[in-house]
Amino acid sequence: MIHDFGIVWSERDLLLSGLGNTTILSVLSAIAALLIGLVLTPALMSKQPWLRGTVRGFVDGMRCVPFLLFAYIVYYGLPSLGVRFDNWTSGLVALTIYNAAYMAEILRGAWAAQPREPIEAGVAFGFSNVGLFRRIVLPPLLLAAGPVIGNQMIQIIKDSAFLTIIALPELTHAAASIQSRHYVPFAAFITAVFLYWGLCLVIEAGVGSIDRLAAARR
Amino acid sequence: MSAGDVLAILGGAVVTVTLSLTGILIGLPIGLALAVLRWADVPVVARIVAVYVSILRATPLVTLLLLLFFALPNIGIAIGPVSAAILALVMNTAAFNCEVWRASLMNFPRDQYEAAQSVGMSAGLRFRRIVLPQIARTSLPGLVNEMSLLIKVTPVLAVVGVVDITRAAVRIGAETYDPLPPFLVAVALYAPIVFVLVSLQRWIERRQVLAEAAA
Amino acid sequence: MADSSKVLDVAGVSKRFGALEVLSDISFQVEKGETVCVLGPSGSGKSTLLRCINWLERPDAGQIYLNGVEIGINGAGVVMSDRELSRMRTRIGMVFQHFALWPHLTVLQNLMEAPVQVQRRPKAEVRDEALALLAKVGLSDKRDTFPAKLSGGQKQRVGIARALAMRPDLLLFDEPTSALDPELVGEVLLVMRELAHEGRTMVVVTHEMGFARDAATRVMFLDRGRVIETGSPEKFFTSPETERARQFLQRYAGDAANGKR
Repeated sequence: MIHDFGIVWSERDLLLSGLGNTTILSVLSAIAALLIGLVLTPALMSKQPWLRGTVRGFVDGMRCVPFLLFAYIVYYGLPSLGVRFDNWTSGLVALTIYNAAYMAEILRGAWAAQPREPIEAGVAFGFSNVGLFRRIVLPPLLLAAGPVIGNQMIQIIKDSAFLTIIALPELTHAAASIQSRHYVPFAAFITAVFLYWGLCLVIEAGVGSIDRLAAARR
Repeated sequence: MSAGDVLAILGGAVVTVTLSLTGILIGLPIGLALAVLRWADVPVVARIVAVYVSILRATPLVTLLLLLFFALPNIGIAIGPVSAAILALVMNTAAFNCEVWRASLMNFPRDQYEAAQSVGMSAGLRFRRIVLPQIARTSLPGLVNEMSLLIKVTPVLAVVGVVDITRAAVRIGAETYDPLPPFLVAVALYAPIVFVLVSLQRWIERRQVLAEAAA
Repeated sequence: MADSSKVLDVAGVSKRFGALEVLSDISFQVEKGETVCVLGPSGSGKSTLLRCINWLERPDAGQIYLNGVEIGINGAGVVMSDRELSRMRTRIGMVFQHFALWPHLTVLQNLMEAPVQVQRRPKAEVRDEALALLAKVGLSDKRDTFPAKLSGGQKQRVGIARALAMRPDLLLFDEPTSALDPELVGEVLLVMRELAHEGRTMVVVTHEMGFARDAATRVMFLDRGRVIETGSPEKFFTSPETERARQFLQRYAGDAANGKR
């Protein structure tokens, strides 16, 4: 067994590269999903029924579709419609679009729970448009939604593992590769599990900090 | 896509539902047991459970599945694809359910428990008759939520060779060189299952809110 | 034509919500240094009137002038853009019933936020003024505290200081003590009385009859969206002219007679 871990250690470059891909992919799609979510949320609450209905359909749809299937469709299915992405782009696009729906729903829930008066005070004091949004609306919203967004980030990291199916060289794919070449499945996958756990703990620490900031202001 | 193909996909659907149900049914009471262990703060064990839950919640199902399917035979435990799948689902479900049960346990009103103690109920009786019925009710929305999430990860079972909706769709796609329609059929089959679960969850939540308002 | 010697000139303002006419043809003027108290039963439109002044609600008819300049409609006769409205609003300070402090900022940051971000005044100058205002309302020691940790009375005093930090020409108070526990009302009214005595131009919507009687230079009685009676506090409280004002005062006779607050 020690010998097995020794083999894994000798392949650490591959594992770290896989970890790097997982991290970069997750962070990029999380940020992109959050930004798109910020755009979709006002649409979700719009008074125009067609706009609200379309976005609501998209959000509910993404929540009913398994991510793996969605990733498959983006990578394998789109070429028949003439759109061909490589596996990295497919993975990024799939992760981003899928989670944008979840982020929109999270932000909508957080927004609904926000009191209106401080924002009205912002308007009364002369804040408008971007300034109002950036300095008055957004900070309390992010503080409130922080933990839930953190959870979603963990979900994104786990969903990224599905992308091994489309041969994206992320962490699980690296572990599987080491396993198939050296026949050290336990060592390889346990290492991967602990690396995922490590990522998760980092996010939970981040969420903890945001929660502390929020608690001081509660 | 022929009728035979559709049948193959439907067959995969049966496998999905069966495996998911098995995973849920076994994982549910195990999750409850884990939650009770943590809530009762049994020395050492509670800590182990906490770590187990933390690791399982951070591990992608596909990684867990590969670990179990390839690694267990490696250390001497023979396991087939179906058993590996069920085991992975159970371990995953138990960890997530544990958190849902634990939240209910922590929010359980202390004085009801003390009232049961003061009329001389034993610990087992207290739990079965007073605590469990109520936490079952409060945990329900969270558990149904977990169920819908669980269903959504079952496509990963294709990875280890268990025939599943997705796998059937992929096979058909590969055979007919036209991947999109089978995928759409697969999505079309999954979506209603998940939709029903999500609607069920919302309905339960609404009923609970009304019940609380009336109380 | 607007009278630019008046700080506030409200002319024929009407507002309806759906089928309900909340304000009907309201007209009045406020001179510099006046403290006008707006009284009336619930649903009389008092708060709506206040919120129309800084266009938080948009009037359906009528004009509102601040120092001779119309609010809401620009020189070209077109509805003002957000930026133009924003500029006008910085000249009007508002104090809210539920305080409306910004929860993610400390007390001092609450005071400094709008002057720095909207009025673009230099930070050091704003900070000095903010500290002075906090001292004025008696909350210097709370400057680095977050609003959630303050009592209602403290929050409202911060709210008043925050409005003052904008150096406004006009102060609007929307039922400033209605959301406070009785024992906390006094500390807020004390600050407001001081402001009135200093000669600030204030329009106060309130149920505090004692305050109206002591600190107002003029009282305006509203009922069902119309100005029923207006006059000096002495006249209004001792010998009101209209029947409706008389009925209203009878209900609140206890408070006014006590004159404790």
